[in-house]
Amino acid sequence: MSEDLIIGIAGSGGDGVISAGESLITAAALEGYHCVMTKSFGSQIRGGEASCRLRLATRPVLNPNGPLSVAVALNWDDFRRFGAELPVEAGTIVIYESNTGVDPDKLPLPGVKPAVVYSVPISEMAAQHAGTDKAKNIVIAGLLAGWFGIGRESMLAGIRKKFAKKGATVVEGNVRAFQAGLDFTAANPLPEDRKLSAPPSGGETKLLTDGNDMCAAAAIFAGCTFFGGYPITPSTEIMQFLDREIWKYGGTVLQAEDEIAGIGAVVGASFAGKKAMTATSGPGMSLKTEILGLASLAELPLVCVNVMRGGPSTGMPTKAEQSDLFQAAFSAHGDCLRPVLAPTSVADIFGITVEAFNLAEYYQTPVIVLSDQEIAQRKETVDPIDTAKFPIIERRHPSGPELTNYARFKVTESGISPISHPGMPGGNYLAAGIEHNEQGRPTASGELHARMNEKRFNKFNPLKSRRDLFTVAGDPEAPIGMVSWGSVAGVAQEALRLALAEGLQVKLLIPKLLYPVAEPVYQDFFASVRRGLFIEQSHQAQLYRIVRMYVDFPAGVKPFAKSGSNPILPSEVLERLREMVVAIQGNNPQQPVAVAD
Amino acid sequence: MAKPISPIKFQAGDFKSDLKPIWCPGCGDFGVVTAITRALSNIGRPPHEIAFVSGIGCSSRIPGYTTAYGFNTVHGRSLPIAQGIKLANPELLVLVASGDGDGFSIGGGHVAHAVRRNIDITYIVMDNQIYGLTKGQLSPTSQRGRKTVTSSFGSLEAPVNPLLYVMGYGASYVAQGTPADMTGLGKIIEEGIRFPGFAFINVQSPCITYGTEDQQLKAHKTNMQSLEAMGHDASDRARATELAREYGTKLYTGVLYRNPNPPPTYGHGVTERQEALKQQAIPRHEILNRFKPTH
Repeated sequence: MSEDLIIGIAGSGGDGVISAGESLITAAALEGYHCVMTKSFGSQIRGGEASCRLRLATRPVLNPNGPLSVAVALNWDDFRRFGAELPVEAGTIVIYESNTGVDPDKLPLPGVKPAVVYSVPISEMAAQHAGTDKAKNIVIAGLLAGWFGIGRESMLAGIRKKFAKKGATVVEGNVRAFQAGLDFTAANPLPEDRKLSAPPSGGETKLLTDGNDMCAAAAIFAGCTFFGGYPITPSTEIMQFLDREIWKYGGTVLQAEDEIAGIGAVVGASFAGKKAMTATSGPGMSLKTEILGLASLAELPLVCVNVMRGGPSTGMPTKAEQSDLFQAAFSAHGDCLRPVLAPTSVADIFGITVEAFNLAEYYQTPVIVLSDQEIAQRKETVDPIDTAKFPIIERRHPSGPELTNYARFKVTESGISPISHPGMPGGNYLAAGIEHNEQGRPTASGELHARMNEKRFNKFNPLKSRRDLFTVAGDPEAPIGMVSWGSVAGVAQEALRLALAEGLQVKLLIPKLLYPVAEPVYQDFFASVRRGLFIEQSHQAQLYRIVRMYVDFPAGVKPFAKSGSNPILPSEVLERLREMVVAIQGNNPQQPVAVAD
Repeated sequence: MAKPISPIKFQAGDFKSDLKPIWCPGCGDFGVVTAITRALSNIGRPPHEIAFVSGIGCSSRIPGYTTAYGFNTVHGRSLPIAQGIKLANPELLVLVASGDGDGFSIGGGHVAHAVRRNIDITYIVMDNQIYGLTKGQLSPTSQRGRKTVTSSFGSLEAPVNPLLYVMGYGASYVAQGTPADMTGLGKIIEEGIRFPGFAFINVQSPCITYGTEDQQLKAHKTNMQSLEAMGHDASDRARATELAREYGTKLYTGVLYRNPNPPPTYGHGVTERQEALKQQAIPRHEILNRFKPTH
C-alpha cells in the first residue's frame, strides 16, 4: 500500500481537469487524508492547457512536488506543455485518453518508459453513459476512485448534489459515467501495492481551502473592515472573498480604478481609524510603492499582500516565484523599514495575516505579506484552527491627558506614539508625507528629520527578538543548515525529514519574518553551521542576499535557487545535503561543494 | 451633508490653524482658505469631524492651515485617499484640496472615477494654469502657446477643461469661483459641502509669481461674469455643458450645474448593503467554518 500519492491530471481548458481534481480532494479531505492540490494553467481564459497536481497522504503533506505516482493525460500536447511541473518516471502509473491514438508502448515521453499504462476511452465512456463528453471529468473521478479507493460514496453524493438542478436525467447520466469509471478499474485492477492506505482515523474534520481565501478570512477575523484593490492574478480571490463577506461585518470593498487608488483608499481608511488591507501581485506592488512610503512616514497601519508571481514586468502571471523580496524589503524611496512576513502554507497564512494586522496596528506601519501563487491558489487540508489562540492587537489611541496639547508623533521611549483619528475630539493633527515635528507640523530641519528617522527605525527593534516568527527544526548542533521560506519551506521540511531519517546531521530555519533581518536568530542558527543552503524559488536567491547584508555566515552556506515554476524537489535538496556531509567528513571545509552560487 | 446643523456656533477663526502660510504674498490661495473656513463656520460641524485631504502643490498646503484633521498626501492621489476616508467613516465631512497639476495631470485619472462613484466629498481645485511650487512649468490647464520654463517656445498642446471634464462624467454639482469675489466663493463652497454627493468646485486662484497679468485678481474683477446674474438655470445640464466649453475664454462664477435629482451616493449604497447583509454574518472567530469541506 502507498502512504503518499501524487496525481497529475492535464488536458485542455474545458476538459474538466480542475473539477475532477476538486471532486477528488473534497472526497479525500472528508475521509481524513492530508491533501494538497495545485492548479496550473496557460494564460488563456478559455481553452489552452490546464492541469492539477493532487497529493493525498496519510501524514501531513507540506508541498505538492515530486514525481507523479499517477499521470492522467487527456491530451498529450497539453500534458507535455507542463514539462517539469508534471514529471513522469518509470514508476508512474499513466492513464490516458485512447482517442489520442497513442500506442501504450510509444508514449510521447522521451526517455521514460512507465511500467503501468492504461489507455482508457474516456470521452467515449462519457458520451455513452452521460450522453456528453463533458462528463470526462466524472469518468476520471470514477477511475481514480476505483483504482485508489478514494471516497466513492462521497463522490457519488457530490455528483448528485452538483447536478441536482439540471434534473434527474443529467444526474443519472453522470452517476452512470462515474460507475463506468469504477467498472473499468474493476476489469483492469491495479497491483495491490499501488493502492492508497486507509486514511488516519479520528480527529476533527479538516478544513479545505486555498491561501487566498484563507488570507481573506484571516483579515475578517483580525477585524479588517476596509479593502481597496484592483484585480490582478494571482491575488484577486482575496478581493472576491472579501466582497462576499466584509459587508456583513460593516466593512467595505472598493474595487479601485487602479492599483495606486486601491492602496490610496486603504491609507485613507486607516487614517480614518479602520483596519484596512490591499492585495496585489508584482506589477501592482510596483505601482503601490509611493503610497507605502506615505504610510510609513505618516505612521499609518495597513496590510499589503503581494501574491508573488514570476517577474519582472508581466513575467509569469500564473506561476509562483519568490522574486519580490527585494521589492518588499526596499519598496519605496527614502530610509525606511517596513516589516515583511511570509506564510509557508495555506494553514500558515491565517496566522501570518493576523500577525500582519497586529504588527501594522501596533507599530503603526504598513506590513507586507509575501504570499505566492502556489500558496494562494493551492487547495490544502488544514487541521482545525483554534482562533482563540490568536490575540488581536488594536492601535494605541491617545488617552484623555495625552489629548491635551496632543502630539501625534511624540517621541516616546518605544518610538510608538498614540494615534488619533478624525472624529476624535482633541486629536486633530496634520498627517503628511512631508517630514514633520512631533505635532505633525511640516519641517525642513535636518536635525528633526534625523530624530524622526531614528524614532521610526527604533520602534521596530523589538521585532528582531520575535523568535516565534521563526521555526527551527532538526539537530540543533548540526554542521549543515538549511534556510527556506514561503511555499518552498515545505520542500525543505520534507528534505529535512528524509535527511534525518538517513542519520544526517542537518537543521532547518524557516523565517516567517523576512524583514527586518533578525540578526540574533540567524547568528544563533549559524553558530554550529559550516555548510548550508538557502533554498529559494528565484534566480537571485533574494533572502540569501538580504541576510548576507546583515549577518556574517560561513562561506560554505550557498544558495540553491531556481527561477519560478521550476519545481524544487526534496530529493534534489537531499542530494545536496549528502554532498555537504561528504565534504565535511572529508575534513576539508575548503573543498568546493557542488552548489552554484 | 451627513448631519443636521449643530447648535454650536462657529467662527471662521475656529477653523484657522496657527500655522503661517508660506505662499507668496498676494497668492490667490489665501482667499481660498479664508472662503473655506468661512463656509465651514456656517456648516456647523466641529473641526474634529472634518477630514481635509490634499496632494502636492501650493494648493495642497491648505489642510495644514486649518484646524481640521488634515492629510497632506502624495502628488495626485488625494481623491482616492479621501474616498477611503469617507467610506471608512461616512459620518465625517470630507474635503479635498487640489491644484490643476495635482488634480488634472498626475491625478487626472482619478477624477472620472470619483465623479462616477459619487462619493459624498467636496473637491476644490485651485486652478492657476501653472506649476507654482516647482517654479513655473507648464500645467495641464495652460493655454496652447503659453511660454514657460518647460515650454520655452510655447505649449504645443490644448489645455484640459476641468469643467467640461467633470460634466462629461456626470458630476451633479459643478461650480466655479475666484477669490476676486469672496462672497460668491464662500457661497459655492458652502453649497458644495452641503450638496449630497460629489461636488466639484474649480477656483481660479491666481499665481502671483508665475501667472500672467490677465490671470490676476484685478483682471478677474473685470472679466468675471456671475452665472446667477446672467439668469443661468443651473438645473439645465445642456446649457451648463455649453457654458463649460467656454472655460479658458470666459470666467463664469457661481453654480454651473446642480442636478435637481442627484443620484444616490456610493455611501448610501454601502450602508444599505451593510444593513441588508449583517444578519448573515457568522461570528468573526468562526469564519473558518466557511472552509469545512462539503460535496
